[in-house]
Amino acid sequence: MIEFDSEEQRMVLKVVYYGPALSGKTTNLLRLHDLLAKEGRGELTVLDTKDDRTIYFDLLPFFLVAPSGLKIKVKVYTVPGQVQHDATRKAVLQRADGVAFIADSRRTEAKNNAESFGNLERNLSIVGIDIDKLPLVIQYNKRDLPGIIPEEEIRRAWGPTGFPVILSSALEGWGVVETFRAVAERTYDVLDRRHDFAGKHGLTRESFAGRLVRRAG
Amino acid sequence: MPTDNEDRDRIVYCIGEERALRDVLPASEAATLLAAASRAGLRGVRVVDPGGKALWGNGDDVPPPGEGDPRRPILLEGEPAGSVVLPAGAAGGETRDALLALLADTLTAMAHNNLKRMLTTETHTEVINRSYEELLETNRSLSESEQRYRELAGSLEIKVRERTEELSRAMARLVQQEKMASVGQLAAGVAHEINNPLAFVTSNLQTLKKYTERFLDIIARYQRVFEQGGVAQQDRDDLRMHRESLRVDAISEDAGDLLRQTLEGAERVRKIVADLKGFSHVDEEGEAPTDMNREIDRTLSVMTHEIPGGAAIVREFSPLPVIPCLPGAFNQMFLGLLRNAFQARREGLRVTIRTGVSGDRIRISLADNGPGIPADLRTRIFDPFFTTRDVGKGKGLGLTVAYDIVTAHGGTIDVEDTPGGGATFLVQLPIRRGSHDQIR
Repeated sequence: MIEFDSEEQRMVLKVVYYGPALSGKTTNLLRLHDLLAKEGRGELTVLDTKDDRTIYFDLLPFFLVAPSGLKIKVKVYTVPGQVQHDATRKAVLQRADGVAFIADSRRTEAKNNAESFGNLERNLSIVGIDIDKLPLVIQYNKRDLPGIIPEEEIRRAWGPTGFPVILSSALEGWGVVETFRAVAERTYDVLDRRHDFAGKHGLTRESFAGRLVRRAG
Repeated sequence: MPTDNEDRDRIVYCIGEERALRDVLPASEAATLLAAASRAGLRGVRVVDPGGKALWGNGDDVPPPGEGDPRRPILLEGEPAGSVVLPAGAAGGETRDALLALLADTLTAMAHNNLKRMLTTETHTEVINRSYEELLETNRSLSESEQRYRELAGSLEIKVRERTEELSRAMARLVQQEKMASVGQLAAGVAHEINNPLAFVTSNLQTLKKYTERFLDIIARYQRVFEQGGVAQQDRDDLRMHRESLRVDAISEDAGDLLRQTLEGAERVRKIVADLKGFSHVDEEGEAPTDMNREIDRTLSVMTHEIPGGAAIVREFSPLPVIPCLPGAFNQMFLGLLRNAFQARREGLRVTIRTGVSGDRIRISLADNGPGIPADLRTRIFDPFFTTRDVGKGKGLGLTVAYDIVTAHGGTIDVEDTPGGGATFLVQLPIRRGSHDQIR
């Protein structure tokens, strides 16, 4: 149980990387860990895996302090993609503030993507989160592989939903930071409306996202 | 952490609970490390929380940590969760700084690893609990569903019983209708039979009326001649001629035949009416001692018009004991069986009715030389509504009614092949019945 105490001026945010099995959720976090500056970033915690497949979840925490002194911790989680770990997915998804859906760009994975997104919608509803109010970003990963769905087809499919779509190759390290930044910005927008980050805490959208995605080196 | 309710300041976070350094780093583990550091030369080392409050220390003679003391942060999830602090005056230079860094990094690594272990346990427990709760929920909804099905099954039985009663009432109504239709058909036939003799009786009477006029005419003339006194030759001739012109002799002869025929017709009508009364047993109430041979005859006599032309009806009757029953019902049964036989073929029909006694039973067989009944239909011909006739031609209740009457009387009715082709219906009736048996 987290205590959010106005006296302590602490806030903990949760961003969840959701998606089908082997779509590259853990690789996204590994890349973020490598690409982002050590300052304000915690260590990547990879909980038990089996054959390189996540059983529980991975966790990459970030920490920043707003000019007002508000301490903000952003915990980025992955969920296990395999169908049988639905209970874990629900547990991790609970109380999420933002979600990045990591899809596999290969045409052969289209069905898995659709099933996983359906699972996300269902689980969000089970844990009491309104998908229409949730900051949600779609990442089409594995753009480096052959047999992928063309970009225009993806944009045509997702355009009507209004969710931002980002293309990436987590393996090659591109599109990863952009995805994190996009989900951070959208999460900020929701929080700002509720808690007046800019007015009360002197934390702008730019400074919030900028400090989370500070590049290493 | 945003919530749906902004007034709420405590948030239940099912996984990844926020922890202080003290929660993830037990005093025993920290103390061992601090003691080792102390032995390595870092005397008076302290670990403090972010608020500067001392958590653990080694070396009692060291004063409490101050602002300017050398220190290194211990990070937990990237957040400074505490610091390793040395007294301001502690000597040692580079070695001291290196040891301080080593100590802080080691405590950070220990905290991280402990946190990871706790997260694993926490997730595992959460998932197990959640799965268990889901199983309980599934079990609860299964029990509810089972209960619903039980209730449904219960009400289904009641529904089936109600529907069965409804059907048997409808069946009884239909059987009654069939009986009425049968009687109606019979009435139509009888009406026809009565109409025929009645037609010639009427015609003959018309003729007789004209004849009578002539008789009256000649009588009137005789009357006049005799009243005038004496009969002259002329008059006698005149009378003869007139008599001849009226053909009085011939019509006198014909009048006798006419009257005889008319009487015969009237007799036939009388007999038909008597047969009909006998067949319907309208004058009798309840059961009466009945001779089945006589009832068969009665039925045949009212069915004369239904017998196909050229058909041979062979009666091979043996004397039968009278049995108490509702004779009207049995006539109804014979009517059904005979009608069935009359429909067996159009030409060359031969129906043999044989009666006799076998043991304590009366045997009545009714054999036709029609096409017979295929073996696979034998078990169905007594079923209600079963008929081989065209749609709209038969309700399939004639044999059902026959079956009901015989079984209600404690008898049996069977169908078998007639030697040489055709079907034979065999009715067996007990000569003495149990007192509780009743005929519908």
